[in-house]
Amino acid sequence: MNLAKYIIRRAIFATFVLLSVMTITFVLSHGLGGDPIYSWLGKAAGLHPELAAAYAAKYHLRDPVYVQYYYYLVGLSQGNLGYSPSRNFLPVVQVIGQTLPFTLQIGFFAILMTLIIGILLGVIAARYNHTPIDVAIRAVYMAGYGSPPFFVGLVLLIVLTFQFGLLPSGGAFDPNLVQPSWITGIPMIDSLLEGNFQYFASALVHVILPSTALAICFFGVVTRVLRSSMLEIMHANYIRTARAKGLDEGTIFFKHGLRHALMPIVSLSSLIVTWIITGTIFVENIFSYPGMGRYLVQALNGQDYPGILGTTIVYVLVIVSSTLVADVLYAVVDPQVRLG
Amino acid sequence: MAQVKPKSHVSSRALGLLTKNPETILGLIVVVTFVLTAVIVTVSNLLGLQITPYDPLQQNVGVSLAAPSWAHLFGCDFLGRDVFSRVILSIPNDVLVSFCVVGVAVVVGALIGALAGFKGGLLDELLMRFTDVIFSLPVLVIAMVIAVALGPGLIHMTVAMVVIWWPPYARMARGETLRVAHQNFIEAARFAGQKTTSILFKHVLPNISITMLVYATLDVGTIILVYAGLSYLGLSVRPPQPDLGEMISSSQDYLITAPWLPIIPGLIIAIIVIGFSVLGDGMRDVLEAR
Repeated sequence: MNLAKYIIRRAIFATFVLLSVMTITFVLSHGLGGDPIYSWLGKAAGLHPELAAAYAAKYHLRDPVYVQYYYYLVGLSQGNLGYSPSRNFLPVVQVIGQTLPFTLQIGFFAILMTLIIGILLGVIAARYNHTPIDVAIRAVYMAGYGSPPFFVGLVLLIVLTFQFGLLPSGGAFDPNLVQPSWITGIPMIDSLLEGNFQYFASALVHVILPSTALAICFFGVVTRVLRSSMLEIMHANYIRTARAKGLDEGTIFFKHGLRHALMPIVSLSSLIVTWIITGTIFVENIFSYPGMGRYLVQALNGQDYPGILGTTIVYVLVIVSSTLVADVLYAVVDPQVRLG
Repeated sequence: MAQVKPKSHVSSRALGLLTKNPETILGLIVVVTFVLTAVIVTVSNLLGLQITPYDPLQQNVGVSLAAPSWAHLFGCDFLGRDVFSRVILSIPNDVLVSFCVVGVAVVVGALIGALAGFKGGLLDELLMRFTDVIFSLPVLVIAMVIAVALGPGLIHMTVAMVVIWWPPYARMARGETLRVAHQNFIEAARFAGQKTTSILFKHVLPNISITMLVYATLDVGTIILVYAGLSYLGLSVRPPQPDLGEMISSSQDYLITAPWLPIIPGLIIAIIVIGFSVLGDGMRDVLEAR
């Protein structure tokens, strides 16, 4: 199978996944939960039945699920995900537009740190395997793996913020600074483009804790896989040949060993992306970071179906598209994959 | 080629290999303690006995936010409830949810995977594409939506997770079935005129069960982590019933005055998860050494 065919097949599959998620989520969130009008309007719904009826009619709340789904799909085709009662009935698309950039900021730094810490410790563990250093590294990543992200986040908050006052406890930036204007939509990139380094520094300081919390939880997978693939490769014949040629250990280890040992990490990347994106939901809530995870939890608590549905679709879109990119990259680096 | 050996021989040798690794023994101790605690708590609850030092639901404002001491091993929460007693009472939740999810996922996955692998053709294609779709859904987000739709509760939590948990088992079962299906003893059973279902249950499934058991052991830890997340978001038990995730989220306002309140339940979760994954690692090493 050639590469283009492979990419098309993966893209069709990704679309199919997205469609089924939409349907499942829609039916679930509309079919089973009771009448949401009370949590939308509060006491007003009871005091003014005509208001409740008007809202119900406007948002098609009393229609059968499939009719509601039809309206939802029509709206979606026009780029409209509905209106969010937990955010004063703002359009869901608008709220996601405000929150998604912050989630992407955390996600980017968390993935970056996961890879840096994971690869670094994996290399060290392989270099010094079966020594106390190797054992210590295993103990550290097991501890990280076993801890839920929100727990790691709280511990970091207790130690680094409340005990030592090193980093801010929450938020995404210092609100007293000049805010960057809208260029790409992602505040950290925009501030760099504008030369607003003060804002960038503040945003960077605010993103450290949440992304470190996620990196601590997830770097272990990278370390573990890299360590074992590194050990396996260092016993391969071509490494023996390189040694026989008289190359020095450092060149062999990094140039011949590490480069090949990194391959399995590429195949892991979609898994890591999925974990980190779902992990942002927790750390955003702990560090009051104004991303999509905070919005989702608000929507969950307020029976805000359009909000739940919209964020779920965007989460799945982010995850499915990054998985697609990872799979295609993997197929580019390793032609064997395309045969499967 | 893996041969079917007499069962007792395999298990006694496997047990010998397992207990050689101190890490695995540690994991085994954690897992056994965890399960035993759950059983004892459940039985005593059914009998109406209180085995915890204090009533886990009893509020006592006098000792609100008390630090850990001999009287209150893990301290007291903001309502003066004994945290140790609450931790003990929440252990059965994790055992129930994780074992149910993994159990149902193994059974459903094994059946789907074995059927797809054994029958092949269109059925295989349909079942595996369906599995692929479910497999690529983000577990936590979907479980969250299902949990919200069903409302809080342990059983609802279990259902929400089971729905999306089985695909890896189906893939594993299919792969193993394909591997086993062409071995002589299966061909022999087929020529002997046995029905597909009886071959599946008598010959194929027992052969794939060990691989699945190892994966399931590793998986329990992941389930407990996801469950803790759902519970942290307030989707599990209803207050005042305790749960480890809920204990962390409800103590978030006391990070400065009583940091042990979120730390202790978090450590318990971590110890349980690490216990299962260390045990699973040990089991996998034994399996690979075979």
